Amino acid sequence: MKTKIDLNTIKKQKTLLLWGGAITIYGVIFYYLPLAGWLMAFQNYKPKDGLLHSQFIGMDKFIRLFSDATFLKVIRNTLGMGVINLVATFVMAILFAILLNEVRNVFGKRVVQTISYLPHFLSWIIVTGILHDALSGTGIINELLMKFGFVDQGINFFAHTQYFWPIVAFANVWKETGWNAIIYLAAITSIDPALYEAAAIDGAGRWGKIRHVTLPGIKPTIIILLLMNVGNVLNAGFEIQYLLGNGLVQSVSQTIDIYVLKWGISQSDYSIGTAAGIFKSVVSIILIVIANQIAKRSGEERLF
Amino acid sequence: MKKKALSLLLSMVVVASTVACGSSSGTDSTEGTETSEGEVAGASKEADADSSEVKEFTAFFAVPGSEINDDNEIQQMIAEKTGVKVKETWLTGQTAEEAVGTLIAGGEYPDFIDGGDGMMQLYEAGALVPLDDYLDSYPNIKAYYTEQEWDKLRQDDGHIYWMNQFQNIKGEDTTCTHNDEAFWIQTRVLEWAGYPEVKTMDQYFDLIESYNEANPTMEDGTENIPYTILCDDWRYFCLENAPEFLDGYPNDGSVIVDPEELKVIDYNTTDTAVAYFKKLNEEYQKGIVDPESFTQTYDEYIAKLSTGRVLGMIDQWWDFAFTAGDAIKSAGLDEQGCMYVPLPITISEDVQNQWHNSGGVLNVASGLAVTTSCEDVEGALQFIDDLLGQEVHNLRFWGVEGVDYEVDDDGIFYRTEEERTNAADTAYKASHICTYSYFPQWLGTSDDGINANMPSDQPNEYYDSLADTVKECLSAYGAQTYVDMLGTNEAPGPWYPMYSYSNNLTTSTDAGVAWNLMGEVKHEYLPKVVMAEDFDSAWAEYMEAYNACNPQDFIDAMQVELERRVEEAAKFAE
Amino acid sequence: MDTANAKIYHNDSAILGKKGDLKNKTVAKRRKKTSIGDKIFTVCNTIFMILFVLITLYPVLNTLAISFNDGTDALRGGIYLIPRKFTLKNYVTVMQKDNLITGAYITVLRTLIGTFLSLATNAILAYIVSRKEFIFRKQLSLFWVVTMYVNGGLIPTFLLYKNLHLTNSFWVYVIPGTISAFNMLVIRTYMNGISESLTEAAQLDGAGYTTIFLKVISPLCKPVYATIALFVAVYQWNSWFDAMLYNRMSDNLTTLQYELMKLLSSVTNQGTSAEAMKNAMGTVTPTSVRAAATIITMLPIICIYPFLQNYFVAGLTLGGVKE
Repeated sequence: MKTKIDLNTIKKQKTLLLWGGAITIYGVIFYYLPLAGWLMAFQNYKPKDGLLHSQFIGMDKFIRLFSDATFLKVIRNTLGMGVINLVATFVMAILFAILLNEVRNVFGKRVVQTISYLPHFLSWIIVTGILHDALSGTGIINELLMKFGFVDQGINFFAHTQYFWPIVAFANVWKETGWNAIIYLAAITSIDPALYEAAAIDGAGRWGKIRHVTLPGIKPTIIILLLMNVGNVLNAGFEIQYLLGNGLVQSVSQTIDIYVLKWGISQSDYSIGTAAGIFKSVVSIILIVIANQIAKRSGEERLF
Repeated sequence: MKKKALSLLLSMVVVASTVACGSSSGTDSTEGTETSEGEVAGASKEADADSSEVKEFTAFFAVPGSEINDDNEIQQMIAEKTGVKVKETWLTGQTAEEAVGTLIAGGEYPDFIDGGDGMMQLYEAGALVPLDDYLDSYPNIKAYYTEQEWDKLRQDDGHIYWMNQFQNIKGEDTTCTHNDEAFWIQTRVLEWAGYPEVKTMDQYFDLIESYNEANPTMEDGTENIPYTILCDDWRYFCLENAPEFLDGYPNDGSVIVDPEELKVIDYNTTDTAVAYFKKLNEEYQKGIVDPESFTQTYDEYIAKLSTGRVLGMIDQWWDFAFTAGDAIKSAGLDEQGCMYVPLPITISEDVQNQWHNSGGVLNVASGLAVTTSCEDVEGALQFIDDLLGQEVHNLRFWGVEGVDYEVDDDGIFYRTEEERTNAADTAYKASHICTYSYFPQWLGTSDDGINANMPSDQPNEYYDSLADTVKECLSAYGAQTYVDMLGTNEAPGPWYPMYSYSNNLTTSTDAGVAWNLMGEVKHEYLPKVVMAEDFDSAWAEYMEAYNACNPQDFIDAMQVELERRVEEAAKFAE
Repeated sequence: MDTANAKIYHNDSAILGKKGDLKNKTVAKRRKKTSIGDKIFTVCNTIFMILFVLITLYPVLNTLAISFNDGTDALRGGIYLIPRKFTLKNYVTVMQKDNLITGAYITVLRTLIGTFLSLATNAILAYIVSRKEFIFRKQLSLFWVVTMYVNGGLIPTFLLYKNLHLTNSFWVYVIPGTISAFNMLVIRTYMNGISESLTEAAQLDGAGYTTIFLKVISPLCKPVYATIALFVAVYQWNSWFDAMLYNRMSDNLTTLQYELMKLLSSVTNQGTSAEAMKNAMGTVTPTSVRAAATIITMLPIICIYPFLQNYFVAGLTLGGVKE
């Protein structure tokens, strides 16, 4: 549905245009103007010279990044953890919201919901501390594993590379499921109760209602959040990997952000950090455009 | 509904505009900031009234530190004596480089600054005031370093911009604590063995092994952890740098310097390094080395130490003494002999240890500087000068006589148990004590010739604070202090310490890249080497990865710096 | 198949009703069958919820226990749900922090103003881009989507704020970052779900865009507004980096979280060097103080939450219709 731009439409949409224009100016100033900083990636930026007087070096920083084997490994780690986290947190939040919706006891529902989002307020240092405790050689997880005879000897979870990504994903799920579910809970409120009645009359059971009413009802929200998060897979995090990682697993634990801190910021090399940032932005936007196109093809809600 | 929303909005706008006014007046002048806010105004106006003469300076230290309260008592006293009060802020949630980078971009600096790891950036940005011309007018500052030491602080443009604040000894060196790295061992192990001489790495591990065999648990039945290794992030020095000490060299931090040949040696590849890691590997296979060594976090490590289960480890004193050490004491575990003492361990008996060095260390890499934003450079320097005066210095570190310390008939300072507890209390420190801890300070003895500049260096004060089991252990070795346990050595040469150079290497040079890569490889491979079932092949694998980092680039750069330093010193000697 | 079914339910519940009548017999049969399934479902769901609560409550209770435990003693670890050596000292230490009152005042203020501004602007923007006839609909959406993934970096942003005279000012807390594409898109999605017929009816009555936004759309958007208000409020409440970066030298503009961060990071595990630690000589902020600070931060949000929760739980209750 294309609207023709003529004087009449402009007049009609005056209000929208005015507000939209004001908001766009705001966006240009606060979000697009600082992008001048991207120049740094093509410079040998020195704070003393500033953006205007630093020496231009072209694509050197990008070449350095992509010729470094470590950086490629770091991209792999970031993508790996990003995708696992995305899937795990996403599925869990939706599952939790839907199941919570099915709890009949109103008081119980409120209590569960209130408790579920609390871990969101704990800092990573606290959460990782507890996780380290629980997964240590004498921690509760190993004790359970030994009690039920899965293993004879405690597993040193943090010494083996294969456990690291799942642990990170679990930590994310643990901390954020309740919080992320809030959006879905709000979306569920918009579903017309008549639909449930209709489904009930049609003989749908609990699963049937979830499948045919609740899920379709929150589908637009799911799609939009999925699209937005697809663009975030390269932001797999920094703190959690930093706090949980150690020398033995560093080949799988280092993310782009950690790399930038190590080789950029803590070396006063702002340019390399900016270059990595640009790389992340470009990848994110490409992913978003592709995902958005897919959504458009299949007639779903989309970002733009 | 609409009315409600509207009134809410209105009230917000009103409140907000008051804040806005407050803040805009606050930006005009630095002194104005205190009085602009409604609630604080009442309190600080009074303070302003009776100290209207007090000049306010600002300071930023790009290191973590604790802020003191605005109404801090000793800060007030120092202000009365010197006419100056400094508002200090510290690094929060950023790296030093980041914090300094934003300051430079903004072009506005506090009056005083210590850029930490970002010091060179500040210098390059022209943010610092050259101090050379001023030095002669401030006798206390001038006397803070010898001519030769001031010379070491000169940058490549020939000027002096900062003075390091620490490790500077006046009078006699009375250091009691070995505030550095060592092989530590619990006194109960030594007591059980009848306080034997323990001088080599093999003897050390033999002792721990035999003690653990005889006493596998603590008194309450908790299993001992014979030996643990802290490996968390930058704290992995507890694993990696022992080879330089074992060979009888001091803590140059990144390399060994052969003092005869004046040659830089890489301690990562020496025979001693192989022997040390092979030993750790053997002990790991025997179950003596804690299997969680390489995955534990710093908090977990401190928790282990605090329970008194760990018989021995390598660490720096400051890294565990104020946390685990205090916990051991407060749980009464020191009575069971769970406190640690250092041992003079080397690779073989004929090697003289240099774990402890006397005479202070001048780290030229960073220090306190005055910035170009400071409008009163003379006043700022006068304040530093005043802080170094004995009376103010005592106020900073000892506190107020009769409140924070007592003086006995011979004029010796001491503290009561209560005063000692207060001195360690966070809240008390914030409201009462003001050490201006990142301003220059003296170690050693005070001008009165009998007292130490720092309470921790006062022998009687130090001895009184020791647990009985530790006193007993020390006296069994004929020692009074931890330093006596190790013996002391003069600083090895004018180049010392080399880490002041390697710490400032950046990845814009090949040497810096190599140095960074070496760190990464060691972090990953050293634990693997210790845990390996086949040491030799693991070591070979490690060496292959290590050599791929081009360590020679780094060693060469260190050699050049070493020669530069020696040359500089020689120039001065003529 | 499923989606097809769903479409039928959503598009035309009236017809479904009729269909239901026709199928009455089978429905009765099916009900019996499903009611056993329902019971199993309820049992499983209850177990799941209990497990979930236990797992998520534990870290919070653990933090609470540590916050009431003596700091030195807590270093030994092994505290789970009950403090070993009870003390209130950690809370005293936190409460004695200088500037805490100023910080709390500024934080409350920025939370109120920030949330209001942010909600208002995001809702307006969401409304604009949810109008199907709006000529720049696609472009404006894209413009904002992009902002989620680009970032000029610390220094350029700092320079911008400085030139806009936002540094050393309260407004740096509420003006930048007011509009967030994420929040806007969540609201827009919700608005898109509102039936066109309502808007059309209002338009026929001669209502303009502003009236429709305020009178028709917004009242229906309460649940999503509550959600976004919660997100923004929590963000504002927890912010400290902006206070540190832009208002470091203005004590009167400090925030609660910044004061707590200063207390906590006086010695942290991260990012410091041996040299700095050595010179800090034993200034250690124990884990227990960190725990106390965390609890103090959480409290107000826990208190306000039930009121906001009304907006989504009320809807929730309607959703799970009784049979």
